[in-house]
Amino acid sequence: MSQGFACVGKRLAQADAPIKATGAAKYVVDMKLPGMLVGKVLRSPYPHAMIKRIDKSEAEKLPGVEAVITLEDTPKILYASSFRDLPMAPSGSLQRSDEYILADKARYVGDAIAAVAAADEQIAEEALKSIKVKYEKLPFVTHPRDAMKPGAPKLHDYAENNIAVRVTYPLAEGDVVKGFQESDVVVEETFSVTKQSSGHLETQTTIANVDPTGKVTCYSPCQLAFPLRRELAKIFNLPEGMVNVVNPFVGGSFGARLSVYNEPIAVALAMKTRKPVKIEYSMEENFTCVHTRTADEYTVKMGFKKDGTLHAMQIKILTWAGAYLGRAQLAGGIMLIWGMGHYRCPNKAGECQVVYCNTTPSAAMRGYGNPEVMWGVEQVMDMAADKLGINPIELRRENIKKVGEPSNMRLPIESTYLEDCIKAGAEKIGWKEKWGKKKEGLKRRGVGMATMTHCSGAYPLLIEHSGAIVKFNGDGSINLIVNPGSPGTHIWGALSQIAAEELGIYPEDVYIVTGETDKTLFDLGSHASRSTFVTGSAVLMAAREAKGQLLERAGRMLGVSPDELQVKDRKIYIKGAPDKGLSISEVVRSAMWEMKGEAMNIAGKSSFAPFPKSVSPPTAAYFAEVEVDTETGEVKVLKFITAVDCGTAINPMTVEGQCEGGIQEGLGYALTEDFFVNKETGVLESDNFTTYKMPGSLDMPETEIIIINKPDPKGPFGAKGVGEPALVGIAPAIANAIYDAVGVRVTDLPITPEKVLKTLKEKHS
Amino acid sequence: MKKIEKETVNFIVNGRKYQLTIEPWVTLAEVLRDYLDLTGTKVSCGVGECGSCTVLVEGKPILSCSTLAITVRDKSILTIEGLATKDGLHPVQKAFIDCGAIQCGFCTPGMILTSKALLDENPHPTREEVKEFLAGNLCRCTGYVKIIDAVVAAAGAMSRGGK
Amino acid sequence: MSQLVKLLGFFPRVLKPFEYFEPKTIGEATQILSQYGERARLLAGGVDLVPRMRRRLLVPKCVVSLHRIPRLDYIRSNRGGLKFGPLTSIRSLELSPLVKKDYLALYEAVHQLASTQVKTTGTAVGNLCVATPASDIAVALFALGARLRLVGPSSRKTIAIEDFFVGVGQTILQPGEMVAEVVVPCPPAGAGQAFLKLVRTAADIAKVNVAVSLTVADGVCQKVRVALGSVAPTIIRARRAERILKGKAIDQRMIEEAAQAAAEETRTITDIRSTSEYRREVSRVLVRRAISKALERAKA
Repeated sequence: MSQGFACVGKRLAQADAPIKATGAAKYVVDMKLPGMLVGKVLRSPYPHAMIKRIDKSEAEKLPGVEAVITLEDTPKILYASSFRDLPMAPSGSLQRSDEYILADKARYVGDAIAAVAAADEQIAEEALKSIKVKYEKLPFVTHPRDAMKPGAPKLHDYAENNIAVRVTYPLAEGDVVKGFQESDVVVEETFSVTKQSSGHLETQTTIANVDPTGKVTCYSPCQLAFPLRRELAKIFNLPEGMVNVVNPFVGGSFGARLSVYNEPIAVALAMKTRKPVKIEYSMEENFTCVHTRTADEYTVKMGFKKDGTLHAMQIKILTWAGAYLGRAQLAGGIMLIWGMGHYRCPNKAGECQVVYCNTTPSAAMRGYGNPEVMWGVEQVMDMAADKLGINPIELRRENIKKVGEPSNMRLPIESTYLEDCIKAGAEKIGWKEKWGKKKEGLKRRGVGMATMTHCSGAYPLLIEHSGAIVKFNGDGSINLIVNPGSPGTHIWGALSQIAAEELGIYPEDVYIVTGETDKTLFDLGSHASRSTFVTGSAVLMAAREAKGQLLERAGRMLGVSPDELQVKDRKIYIKGAPDKGLSISEVVRSAMWEMKGEAMNIAGKSSFAPFPKSVSPPTAAYFAEVEVDTETGEVKVLKFITAVDCGTAINPMTVEGQCEGGIQEGLGYALTEDFFVNKETGVLESDNFTTYKMPGSLDMPETEIIIINKPDPKGPFGAKGVGEPALVGIAPAIANAIYDAVGVRVTDLPITPEKVLKTLKEKHS
Repeated sequence: MKKIEKETVNFIVNGRKYQLTIEPWVTLAEVLRDYLDLTGTKVSCGVGECGSCTVLVEGKPILSCSTLAITVRDKSILTIEGLATKDGLHPVQKAFIDCGAIQCGFCTPGMILTSKALLDENPHPTREEVKEFLAGNLCRCTGYVKIIDAVVAAAGAMSRGGK
Repeated sequence: MSQLVKLLGFFPRVLKPFEYFEPKTIGEATQILSQYGERARLLAGGVDLVPRMRRRLLVPKCVVSLHRIPRLDYIRSNRGGLKFGPLTSIRSLELSPLVKKDYLALYEAVHQLASTQVKTTGTAVGNLCVATPASDIAVALFALGARLRLVGPSSRKTIAIEDFFVGVGQTILQPGEMVAEVVVPCPPAGAGQAFLKLVRTAADIAKVNVAVSLTVADGVCQKVRVALGSVAPTIIRARRAERILKGKAIDQRMIEEAAQAAAEETRTITDIRSTSEYRREVSRVLVRRAISKALERAKA
């Protein structure tokens, strides 16, 4: 659907694709600095233990070992690996900090106890083996339910029964008790979701370097560079100007890189050795120590009037935090916001408890609670539709929100085309022909669907702030100075298109300067599907400012008012007289190299930090067709359709790529990815791709992505976010399709053939 | 029989000969990345499950993280850095770029080389055959769809005489 | 399966040093193997050995590479059967028209191993020597009645594949011995074979794998072998099931009975890939399907 743009909306190849295709792109794992040492972390082999004594004398004596550090050698400052002090709106709470750089007590198998810097990997390993740690083993718990029992071992002194925090749904409304009484049909069900690993291919790697002035450079794949900088400055008591965070290319993030892992340890080692130190995780270390998606057990209760109107809703959640809070602290509360904010409902309440246990910490993976909660909500919707005798699609239509209604964050919705998504997807999958039909035979097919609303940035819950600089060069090209991160989502391309569209130049005229906190304005970073909307808006603002200067200068050169001018195809010309104009490069060059005292830079700078009066949430509808083998319980997803409303698609090829990748992640979440901790030893057994199964090329269904492509009033050229919406509703769509096929529900992720077969047998007995 | 401790051996990588002194326990991936500074080949899982470390040895796709370097001495090795020529990018590389098959890019070198090996063996694969051949290459970003599009497009370009 | 992860206190990224040999003949290889005994490991493709060493699940004192010994990667087929050597890659078996034509169970087993690179780098004999009860190749070879030619520094013998595996990860190989050749007898006329498995994703180790080979003459089943993997510490022949079918004109009821008998012969466990109950249940289903498929192919 063309909106008459010059380059926004075009399917453009990415400017960084060629160097990735030739292997020239450097990730932190590829970087080498002169004199660089290998850093390596000693980790607890026990899930819960006091650290009585650490003797590092042997290790320090080994030739080639340049530093051995323990907690005593580091600033003993508590921090939250997922950043404390991300300010929140008055309704929220500050995150608690509960960890040191190196552990004061071992709280999971893999907890960081000590670290070394050595000449090479072999020596580093020998050094770790020579560090003698006296542990006093403690009883441990590997599941939050066990952690809450009376007498359970306590992980953190402050947390009674290992409950870190209790959250009540801050946007409660009406009276749920009365609401359920007034409802004609009430459905209640319990669900559980698993600790999905982000599965990024570049293992977590950091290089830290301290130069002779004491300035720290930290090369990290972290998605939030400026918060990392602030955190490092705080931990090591440095002025922020003495800390530079550099993001080279990153091999996948998916939310895992929102947290800090080996950065502070690498900095501590670099400070001690005064040499660059690189800590590279093995994949097993990555699985064991990098934060997973938060797992939960929760109950969804929804009450409906007989015409299908949702009347009351309540969700109660037990959130699995792991050994440290990371971002699990917010996860439960945010789940409530997603789960209860998607549909219109006059009576709603919810609560959650976040509980510690001795496992890998949970934090914020792609979707951050939305995939987790819609797993349950969208199944309860189908269960209710069944009881009400209403088509599941109609039940959605009745209850989804319209423009102007309060969003999941209770601000008016600027745009929503969820209706269009549902309609387009239903047609494509053949809903009318396939759903609700009598099924028979050994292999049975069914269709199912789900919907969701997400966000384009986390305001008003969390800070939203991005800055951009648009700086013209003498040849009419620009340097676009931004720092949205480089998680591989093609955000730089989208930002280039936005800038080019506004300035009347081409995307290939935009040269991105990014990836270093020293060189860019503040940008929160990449999360909450914010980059296109927020950083994009910042780019648009900066481009407008630069354009204003350009037109003002050009106006003087042409002897007309700037209002009479417009830009297109690298030229500035008088409206209505396309032959009367100047090239942009002429104007810039004359300004830059001007000799009579009126030289200037043509550059725009912006800070986009909305405290908004409205929100622009992306929406999506998901449709799955499955085939279930009734003798083995195997589920084959034949076809998957994602119909997404992300406003204007700045680059439709990118949007498709995000959604197709989301289907891979969603499919894994739904069917095969699971977190296995050995209950006897506390060791993570699903610690590599042999044991942790992610979909490969042969596991993917036929896919189709439908982009509604209708603009949002507030987004840059009408764009909204898409990164997380790509994934949110996939699992419940599959669960609902399985129900259509064989009449059973699995409420416990992942949907394995074992569970399907068991449920089928229970149904028939 | 004398045991081999440290050997000076020849590696032929991307058409160039290198002489290196290595121990037997060094993997091919380490030789490429650390000794020869060819960091295009990536190590990810380190257990042979993800295909990121794929290079072509005598035209065949092998897992460099699970190969002792000393066992492939004197054999011609092609890494991602050696695929483009002075005439430009290989059609597979061009297709990956044009079809949007590259997101974070970490699986890309392995994917491209495995795809090249496929097209050298089977110049006109069906989509199903492409999926089968790439089944040992994991990607977390793209969902494989545009990767398969790219391989099919490259096959078309190559059969039309594209270089 | 008991030790998936070693508790080391750190995560290794490189291999530990070892003593390394490159023999030029099988004789030289077996010499070194008998010298080092349990502390030696043969290196063929390395696809299993190298990662295992990196993870410190195996720390051999000595590694003996076979790659300098010529002509170990052959595939030959004649009246004596199919023969392949210690360095024959899994992929070459997959691509061989000889295998696809007459040894369909073996073809199906290798074809369903998803990773092209693993098949190209990895060898079939290497896979057998890992001795996992989940080996697809081993299950197929059980059904095909394969024999293994073993050689040591001063010994040579040929054993049935059923005698090769003695426990999880354990073969009958004595210190100094290695597998020199695998021989798969030529299936007679009227033979039908099938291989089936269940996995979590396509590129995964089997939850249950099954292979059936049978011959039918004048409507009567002359020979039958039913092999199951991943359901016991070693791969099993479901002999009760075989007895139900052998010498009979097989009908649907008999197939059901045989499948049930096979399931009862399993000793399944629960692990990261599946549950004991599920494995037992689907063993029955897979055996039934494999017998039906083999029968169909025998009649064709």
